[in-house]
Amino acid sequence: MECHDIVQLLPDHLQGTLGAADSQAVVAHLRECAQCCEEVELWNALATIPEEKPSPMLRHQFEMMLEAYQQGRRTQALHPHFGWSSWFRIFAPAGAALALVVIGLVAGVYIERGRTNPEDIASLHRELANTRQLVALSMLQQQSASDRLQGVSWSTRIDIADPQIKDALLHTLRFDGSVDVRLAALDALRRYTDQASVLNSIEDSFRNQKSPLVQIALVDFIVEQRDRAAVEKLKNFRQTPDLNPAVRQRVEWGITKLSRG
Amino acid sequence: MLRVRNDEVENLSTLFERYHVALFNFFLRFSGDADGSEDLVQDVFYRLLKYRRSYKPGTSFRTWMYQVARNARNDRFRKQHDEVELEAAPVVTVLPVDPVDDQQQLSRLKYALMQLSEDKRELLLLTRFQGLKYDEVARLLQCEVGAVKVRVHRALQKLEDHYRRDFLRRPKGNVGV
Repeated sequence: MECHDIVQLLPDHLQGTLGAADSQAVVAHLRECAQCCEEVELWNALATIPEEKPSPMLRHQFEMMLEAYQQGRRTQALHPHFGWSSWFRIFAPAGAALALVVIGLVAGVYIERGRTNPEDIASLHRELANTRQLVALSMLQQQSASDRLQGVSWSTRIDIADPQIKDALLHTLRFDGSVDVRLAALDALRRYTDQASVLNSIEDSFRNQKSPLVQIALVDFIVEQRDRAAVEKLKNFRQTPDLNPAVRQRVEWGITKLSRG
Repeated sequence: MLRVRNDEVENLSTLFERYHVALFNFFLRFSGDADGSEDLVQDVFYRLLKYRRSYKPGTSFRTWMYQVARNARNDRFRKQHDEVELEAAPVVTVLPVDPVDDQQQLSRLKYALMQLSEDKRELLLLTRFQGLKYDEVARLLQCEVGAVKVRVHRALQKLEDHYRRDFLRRPKGNVGV
């Protein structure tokens, strides 16, 4: 049997679906043909590439998505005539639950429309972005600091700047109980600093911060933005009684940097 | 999947357990990007839920799932055209030279795989790593089974070009599948 004959049989040989007689012929050919033999060796070698494991975050996100969808369906069954605004009005105080319900509704509404069509596909990106937004908003409301950190992380995965996310991050920066989450929120807010109101709000958040770490991060942030108007705010902040010496030193440094331009 | 299709959506968890690692590796071996691959897996299960009624009972769920996976990936990377083979793929920058080291040999194989054009790489991923039969791949790619076999053969030849023969360590004749 020649190589061009083997080519017809080799793929089935590789997947083990070749009949006994043909398989025997292939093996006999492979013993004599280095080129075909290497092809088989390479196929076998591919199996040695180990499988990678995804991070635990993937399972967490999946469970969250499924739970959101199921919750949305249950709620939808109880109140079939309520629209989006009603859901928001009624469930807004529920924080995370609200976001989960809305995600479920998004999925539910689309599924009820039936089969796939080009318009659905075209809108899918936007829908997924909305889902990410809602997951981020939901997670920012969670009890666990690690969940809220993940919420901040999700907020950065949304392609376009989002006003709701921005507000949630500003709120997190001011009021979150975890230093780590506040620092992460400050970092995530960098993409919004082209908005003067955001910049002002971040600069004004000094008064809410008790953690020296966050205070120093805020000073660095302000210096990085080169906002000379913030010098007065830093000077006011410097007057704070019992200010941590390291923070005071950093504030002095910030004032100097910004004053020099 | 039939149960999911019939609104018993909690059964999607079973499908997730069974397939999420395979899907993750499918995307990862395409791109080398772990975060992006996790995003795509998440997208796939979201789509399975969303389009569950478009699954036809009696047909192969696996084929349908990989169709959804391909669509998810194509939608994500629609603007990226890497049909040209990646001669200078940035995923692996240092090539190993010692043919004795298994780990280096593995790296070289991965590198060779990444050098393939997307259609060839996809074909090997589906038939070798994801374990799809040729007829399943044919349905997926909407072509004849014979064409799939020919393409697999060509993909292996190309892979061999990229993967230097010197690095194949097995003695000739040990070719059982």
